[in-house]
Amino acid sequence: MKYTQNLNLNKQILLFTIPIVVILYAASGFSVYHLAKKRVLLSAQKEMEVYLGKMSETIQLVENQTGLGFNNSDYLVLKPFFNQNAFYKTDFPFILDNSGQYILHAYKEGQRIPSSLLQQLKTSHSKQGFISYTDYKDGNKLDMLFSYKYIDSYGTYLGISVNKSEILESLSQNKLVLIFVVLFASLVFYLTITIILKPVIQLLKEITESVKKLSKGDSPNKIDFNQNNEIGQIVESINDLIDNLKHKADFANEIGKNNLDANFKVIGDQDILGTSLLNMRQSLKLANTEEGKRKKEDDLRNWSTAGIAMFGDILRQNNNNLAKLADNVIQNLVNYLDANQGGLFIYNDEDPEYKHLELLSAFAYNRKKFFEKRIAIGEGLVGTCAVEKETIHLKEIPADYIRITSGLGEAVPTSLLIVPLKLEEAIFGAIEIASFSDFKDSEIEFVEKIGISISSTLSSVKNNIRTNQLLEQSQQQREEMAAQEEEMRQNMEEMQATQEEMARKSLEMEGMSASINEALLYCELNEDGSIINPNNNIAALMSCTRQELEGESLTEFIHSDEKGMFKGTWADVLSGSTFKSTMHWVDKNSNELYILASISPAFDEFGSIFKIYFLGQDVTESKKLEIRAHKQAEEIEQSLLEIQVEQELNLQREDEMKALLLVLDHTCLITELDPAGVITYINNKNTEVLGGDKDEIEGKLISELDFVAKNRPKEFKKFWENLSKGLKQDREFSLNIDGNEVTISEVYTPIINEHGQVTKIINIGFDISEIKRKEKEMAALIAELETLRKKK
Amino acid sequence: MIVTDQDLQYFVTTLKNVAKYDFSEYSDKSLKRRLLKVLTDLNLDLGGLITNIKQDSCFAENIVKEITVNTTELFRDPPIWHLLRSRVLPRFKNNKTINIWHAGCSTGQEVYSMMILLNEMDMLDKAKIFATDLNTDVLDASKKGVYKYRFNIGYLDNFDKVIKQNPLNFEEYNDVPYEKYFDIDKLKDTITIKKFLTEKPIFRKHDLVNDGNLFFAKFDLILCRNVIIYFNYSLQNKVFELFHANLYPKGCLLLGMHETILGPWANKFEKIGQAYVKK
Repeated sequence: MKYTQNLNLNKQILLFTIPIVVILYAASGFSVYHLAKKRVLLSAQKEMEVYLGKMSETIQLVENQTGLGFNNSDYLVLKPFFNQNAFYKTDFPFILDNSGQYILHAYKEGQRIPSSLLQQLKTSHSKQGFISYTDYKDGNKLDMLFSYKYIDSYGTYLGISVNKSEILESLSQNKLVLIFVVLFASLVFYLTITIILKPVIQLLKEITESVKKLSKGDSPNKIDFNQNNEIGQIVESINDLIDNLKHKADFANEIGKNNLDANFKVIGDQDILGTSLLNMRQSLKLANTEEGKRKKEDDLRNWSTAGIAMFGDILRQNNNNLAKLADNVIQNLVNYLDANQGGLFIYNDEDPEYKHLELLSAFAYNRKKFFEKRIAIGEGLVGTCAVEKETIHLKEIPADYIRITSGLGEAVPTSLLIVPLKLEEAIFGAIEIASFSDFKDSEIEFVEKIGISISSTLSSVKNNIRTNQLLEQSQQQREEMAAQEEEMRQNMEEMQATQEEMARKSLEMEGMSASINEALLYCELNEDGSIINPNNNIAALMSCTRQELEGESLTEFIHSDEKGMFKGTWADVLSGSTFKSTMHWVDKNSNELYILASISPAFDEFGSIFKIYFLGQDVTESKKLEIRAHKQAEEIEQSLLEIQVEQELNLQREDEMKALLLVLDHTCLITELDPAGVITYINNKNTEVLGGDKDEIEGKLISELDFVAKNRPKEFKKFWENLSKGLKQDREFSLNIDGNEVTISEVYTPIINEHGQVTKIINIGFDISEIKRKEKEMAALIAELETLRKKK
Repeated sequence: MIVTDQDLQYFVTTLKNVAKYDFSEYSDKSLKRRLLKVLTDLNLDLGGLITNIKQDSCFAENIVKEITVNTTELFRDPPIWHLLRSRVLPRFKNNKTINIWHAGCSTGQEVYSMMILLNEMDMLDKAKIFATDLNTDVLDASKKGVYKYRFNIGYLDNFDKVIKQNPLNFEEYNDVPYEKYFDIDKLKDTITIKKFLTEKPIFRKHDLVNDGNLFFAKFDLILCRNVIIYFNYSLQNKVFELFHANLYPKGCLLLGMHETILGPWANKFEKIGQAYVKK
């Protein structure tokens, strides 16, 4: 069945209808044949009945003639009747006895009928009837129809048996005709069906294809079919459907192409898709307008958000430098707004008397313009904006705008926007932007938003700056404090050092005044010259007590010779100079006293005298000595004159001596010794005669070099002792120098100072081997020299 | 913390060996206090201080700066300036030049006070000003001539007392504006000496103990105020000898308000008020 289901309709119809038609025809043929067979058989039975009736009448007649039962006569008389077949070739009538033995038959006399037939015959219990039986004769199976009639007179069965096939032989001709009719009818049916169905099925195929395409969402072509029958209607509907779909698809396409105004009509009230499409279009249209609106809003929001982010960055980057920050902000703001000019004013309230807005940065025509501009609060548009804390948007700017203090210079823009920089009602400044095109509401809103950000940054920057200032201030204060502290400490140190120094000084002064008190005459004097606070020394000198002396005038004690002079002295003292001289006093006992005195005034810081000090020393004794000495001095002066004359003479002699000494130096061996025996000088002649190096010899002890000291120490000791006592020593010795015997005569002369001490020893030696004879003369000369030195 | 005599000795010896500064004849008591102050400020013990001095000559230099005392002010002790004005400076009125040595000038206020006074007496042109100190930091400060205004506000009182008023004649009043000599900036809290004053003096580093007379000149006036209080008696006399040797006859030596010459050099000077005139 499944297979057949997959066949196309045409084949299905053919596959199912043709066998049915064939079977139907066959069945009707078969039933016709069967009915015919029955009728033939029935008619054969009737004929057989009829025949058996005739035969029985014949028998009756014979019986009547011959007597009772079947006898030979009967046989003979009936035989000719039974030799003739009735209708068919083999249907011979016969007579059967009760045992089924043919007693009269054309050729089967003596044979028996099949036992099955006999059985049926005996069980039928009817005197007349038909029995169909099968006779197996000669190996052939023969369907036989047996008709019988019981003959009472004979007590036998009259029967006739006919082969059914012989009866039905006429029917087999009909059978062929019937088959032919069936086949023909089937062919006609097939052709008819094929002719009728084929176009319809073709159409169905097309319809199917179209519907298939439709179902797959394709848009098929229209089906061409113009008959106005059921199929035609279907096709029309499908064509309409295709049309509609196409139309709607086009419409949908248009919508897809965003052509929302494409032409489209609904087919009817029940056009769900169309209505839906229209609804959809409506919704899309609505959505489009919504979308458009939203996009606009989005653009604005994006612009605003990007701007805010950008300014956020700018504000973050430069939040330690206010000027740079302002420059960046205003430059970017003007550019971002596509405006033309801009200025950023910052609120300055450092001076509470002149709170003002200060133009921190200006931007115009892509070039920075720096100019310090100050606008008082409430002055001009910007000042007003700061006061009202509301945005000012001017669309009509008077031609003499420059006269309006806007702070933006000379160009006359068409639109002006002034936005206050405020944060929670606290004003931080204002932004002024001018443009040659109008500002949109969104732009104004944007600037206001940026304004808040700027304010907040300005606030924090201000706070930072303030904090830094405070920090610096406190740092500075701390440093100042430290400096001050150090200075105070130094001051303290200086005061302390000063005090210590003063304490030391005052200690010294006390010691001094104590020693003065001990050693000197001391008192203080009033300006009138009266004595205050005299010490014991002065009182003792005056032979009175201190109390008695107190209040006495100093002039009282001065010798009458000097009193006049002292008046002048006193006047000098009072004018500030110190008097210092020996005074001639007379005490109460009229003793003359000489006092070495100093009278000095002491001044206070204003230069006026507050005390006069008297200090004195009793120099009476020394004065007396001085007087004596004075006389002596006069005498001395006299002798000095004499000495002077003598000195001149001495000078003359000295010159002579010099010449003499020069001669001596050339002729004598001269050695100078100090009292310890060190050779301090040796002349050239000496080394010439005795050899040796002058530099080596000088500074050595004589005892180390002297010939006598080395060889005769005792003698040298004696010799040196005498010299040390101041005794002149002579000696002679001979030396062998370069083979020549040289005799030297030496004279050691100690030089003695006024205290009798030997200061120097001079040795003069002579080469007496040449000039011995001059020895005496020389000795005399030395004696003279000595006297000269002594005098000198 | 206590600085003992041995500590001080150790410190002074080290400084002498390392930095060639001789504090051995400074006043013990004062030097001890200064040393104690330095130790406290630097939070060091003596050993640490000595080690640092030995290792670092700059440190030694700074310690010397810390130890010396630099107290001064404009027209300090006005009576002395009155004395200078009325009795000392007039003595040099007819000189062709006036050589002045500020020995221990500190931060220079005294130098500028003197110059202002000289200028008011029309003697500044003749004056040659030499100023010395041991401490190079204060010399730098001197050269700049910039002082704290608020802290030194008393300067102007002194200025008034010395320059504007005359204690000998209360009716006299010279209205000399401050601007003539100072730039006062209250905001910056500075009082700045005018340039014509700061460029004139010759500032040099000088140690009174070692250096003798740096300048090839003798002086008409030597100011050495509140310096010798830090010296002991022996060093004071050495300094007096130095001054005496380098003063012209009739030259003046001016010591601090509470400093006096006692001892051997006293009778080589004649005293006029606080001023000592070389005999």
